[in-house]
Amino acid sequence: MSLAMQTEIKNKAATPAEGLEEKVSVRHLNFYYGEYRALADINVNLYQNKVTAFIGPSGCGKSTLLRIINRIYDLYPNQRAEGEVLLDGDNILSPKQDVNLLRAKVGMVFQKPTPFPMTIYDNIAFGVRLYEQLPKADLDARVEDSLRRGALWDEVKDKLDASGLSLSGGQQQRLCIARTVAIRPEVILLDEPCSALDPISTAKIEELIDVLKRDYTIAIVTHNMQQAARTSDYTAFMYLGELVEFDSTTQIFTNPRMERTQDYITGRFG
Amino acid sequence: MDTHEHIVRSYEEELSALNNKIAKMGGLAEQVLGQSIDALEGRDPDLAAATIQQDEAIDELEKEIEEQAIVMIARRQPLAYDLRQIMAALRISTDLERIGDLGKNIAKRALAVVGEQQPKQLMLGLKHMGELALGQLKEVLDAYIERDADRALKVWYRDEDIDAMYNSLFRELLTYMMEDPRNIGLCTHLLFGAKNIERIGDHATNIAETVYFLVHGNVITDQRPKSDTTSSTPVPLRSAV
Repeated sequence: MSLAMQTEIKNKAATPAEGLEEKVSVRHLNFYYGEYRALADINVNLYQNKVTAFIGPSGCGKSTLLRIINRIYDLYPNQRAEGEVLLDGDNILSPKQDVNLLRAKVGMVFQKPTPFPMTIYDNIAFGVRLYEQLPKADLDARVEDSLRRGALWDEVKDKLDASGLSLSGGQQQRLCIARTVAIRPEVILLDEPCSALDPISTAKIEELIDVLKRDYTIAIVTHNMQQAARTSDYTAFMYLGELVEFDSTTQIFTNPRMERTQDYITGRFG
Repeated sequence: MDTHEHIVRSYEEELSALNNKIAKMGGLAEQVLGQSIDALEGRDPDLAAATIQQDEAIDELEKEIEEQAIVMIARRQPLAYDLRQIMAALRISTDLERIGDLGKNIAKRALAVVGEQQPKQLMLGLKHMGELALGQLKEVLDAYIERDADRALKVWYRDEDIDAMYNSLFRELLTYMMEDPRNIGLCTHLLFGAKNIERIGDHATNIAETVYFLVHGNVITDQRPKSDTTSSTPVPLRSAV
């Protein structure tokens, strides 16, 4: 395949898709862990109310990319990003960006469920209290609404005072999603949210993703190809810190254009 | 696109087994078609009976391929080229099974017309048509084995020749029946035989479409010239009276 065609395929990630609004636009993004360049000139769009899946072998930079979109990397020394990540047109990498506000807009759920060691109710209310001062009745309503959106309400409504840690792994993960939703973010980043879950819990989270995308823009990192194929509208394949191919999920999983993408998703030696 | 080997060897083995079954089924379908036409031409009831028997092996292979494809979809959850390979095997096996049935039907007609005096000229037309269809079938199966979309595309375009031959044979047989009503029995069998061959040509073009899809991941967008006009050809009954 010619270099020009490879570039064209790469550029598709940053070419606006017709009729879709760019919620997050990553432009010429480089990222360094100390001296090591983990991401090289990444250009990609996350579209409003769409699910974008990031796939690729371990260490290819998918999680790193997600960690940049809400600047979690800021918490660690010697990590720096160059380039632009635009959220509704504003560069969130700018030093002027209020990081707390950004994280309220861009929520993240991790591979391992991370409930706080507090009641189920407080797990949800904790974040809300940081950003808003709501009367008790409104807070109760927010907690219920978030747990419903997290598809967990029916299972926990009678034990809101129980510890979040008493829930099963799948329930804990849905609690974390509910907690993220409670702050009313605009973008939700899911970093391998189902890797530790059984098929039923996984199905519940996938159903949740389908529902949540009506209101949010979602990015999901997954090692499960079928999950990427099932849940996403767009898929980006990354390899060694580069974005190799970006296209509609249907195209990527039925007829990818790059040999490397094909080899990866079908489990071949590349 | 070149493909590398799967990391899981058993997956690779299953795909190659599927491929081999299609090749085997294709070989049998060719044989059934070739023999059925020989049986009809040579008025050979033994060959006809053997050919009818042979179709069972094709049916059996179709079942095996279908079962294997279903198991592979469930166990491997194939994607991209793998998915297309499995879908292609399923589709092609259906076409080959139909070709086998149509061939068997020609062989049955060979049994039915064993005692009839056959005008050589008509038999020649049918034989030639059969050879064309057989050539198309061989070519498209080679295209499948080689994963050669261009070769498949040529088969797809050439189906026109079979259609044209069918149209002329149709007219010829009509004329012959009008000449002498005693020919009607034989000619009807020959007409159905020709129709079967024409259908076999259509299945070969289906396979060509599948091969193209297998290789490129999208369907042929050209319009295929359709030239079987017999369904709209009037039968001039009055002139027969």
